[in-house]
Amino acid sequence: MKEKNKHTKPILTITNLKKDFGDLSVLKDVSLNVLPSEVLVIIGPSGSGKSTLLRCVNHLENPSGGEIYLEDELINDETKSKAAFQRHLNRLRCKVGMVFQQFNLFPHMTVLENVMEAPLHVLKQNKEDAQNKAVALLEKVGLQEKQNAYPSMLSGGQQQRVAIARALAMEPKVMLFDEVTSALDPELVGDVLRVMENLAKEGMTMLVVTHEMGFAEKVGDRVIFMADGIVVEDASPKDMFTNPKEPRTRQFLAEILK
Amino acid sequence: MLDWNIIVHYFPFLVQGAVLTLKISILSLILGLIFGLGAALCKLSDNPILRWPAVFYIWLIRSTPLLVQLFIIYFGFPQMGIDLGPFLSGVLGLSLNVGAYNAETIRGGIISVPWGQTEAARSLGMSSGLCMRRIILPQALRIIIPPLGNNFVILIKDTSLVSTITLVELTLTAQRLIGSTYKPFEMYLMAAVLYAVLTSSASLLLGVLEKYTRKEVRAS
Repeated sequence: MKEKNKHTKPILTITNLKKDFGDLSVLKDVSLNVLPSEVLVIIGPSGSGKSTLLRCVNHLENPSGGEIYLEDELINDETKSKAAFQRHLNRLRCKVGMVFQQFNLFPHMTVLENVMEAPLHVLKQNKEDAQNKAVALLEKVGLQEKQNAYPSMLSGGQQQRVAIARALAMEPKVMLFDEVTSALDPELVGDVLRVMENLAKEGMTMLVVTHEMGFAEKVGDRVIFMADGIVVEDASPKDMFTNPKEPRTRQFLAEILK
Repeated sequence: MLDWNIIVHYFPFLVQGAVLTLKISILSLILGLIFGLGAALCKLSDNPILRWPAVFYIWLIRSTPLLVQLFIIYFGFPQMGIDLGPFLSGVLGLSLNVGAYNAETIRGGIISVPWGQTEAARSLGMSSGLCMRRIILPQALRIIIPPLGNNFVILIKDTSLVSTITLVELTLTAQRLIGSTYKPFEMYLMAAVLYAVLTSSASLLLGVLEKYTRKEVRAS
């Protein structure tokens, strides 16, 4: 088991986060802390704002209000000039890895090139170091023999594991997983979840939006249930799945676990 | 009937004209790519100072005839003290023209690359410029090569219009030879054959390039 100290300083602090798309308020007022090495699982019906919450963390969505701190740095720092803000974002995004539902591998590059791309051109690592690191990561996700294949030659599950390796190559402090198994055939889901479980065991801080309740219960340290742009319930996996307090949570869990 | 003696005798003169046509085409092709890429990126920019001039340029060129554009540059500009001479006027007119069409082709290619590619690149800390250069443009290239090739074939044929601004390229060479031989059928036929050779060679080269950029797709 991981050491979890409730008095540790949060690695990620979100306060009063709001996000509107036109008239539609997707995130109404979300505040939460994530501790180092914590695995936070976010569940909820579609349209509840869970993906938007994740995408605000690395500023793929521009929050309409509130603050997000990574360690001590404000991510959505609007006091900066446009160019300075872009540089600030690029630097912070290096510390926050993201894995997408649709993998989004670069189709014109081999698996190895996909993993090496950002370390080479963003972190300016030398080619040998980047390559050794990439090979080691591909080994970790069980795909070392696929390093020279193009993404189109891989199954969805394999592509998603490459995407995880690609994000890890930046040595992020936090990993965001946005419904990463939702586009996969059921028999391919297990391999991806195993990679994520191992990552959690190694102490990676993870925010995981998922519909895999088994994973949430087994790997999550904490589960939050979101609906209509707010955090309805925030509990340990055990409490969330065996003894949810809010009627809205109970209704959702009854719906998906039946 | 065709006069084969005339054809054999004058063919080398027409080839000389075709050499100038080729030079004009290649220069305009290169400049047209630069104008096209620049205008496409500007038109896609969030910054109105970049976007609106590009929108205006593309609109202006595409809504007026190439012949009039060439006349404005060759006959009109000297009135304002800008005398480029026939060769530069021709190359500038053609490259501005093909550039506007290229801009729309390139822009279409860029926006057809799924947005998820940009998000993945940006989430890895890439700047928008690096993302464009390393991730988006290489993928857009595969999509835009066929229509871009089409623009270039049209460009080669459009070079015949610079014969009207005294450039002795293939068409004007043929016209001048007709003046002394009175053999329009032979001369224009030879010119047509030489244009076909130029455009077909360009298509062949682009076909090779297209195959090369699709190597990953072929591998699947």
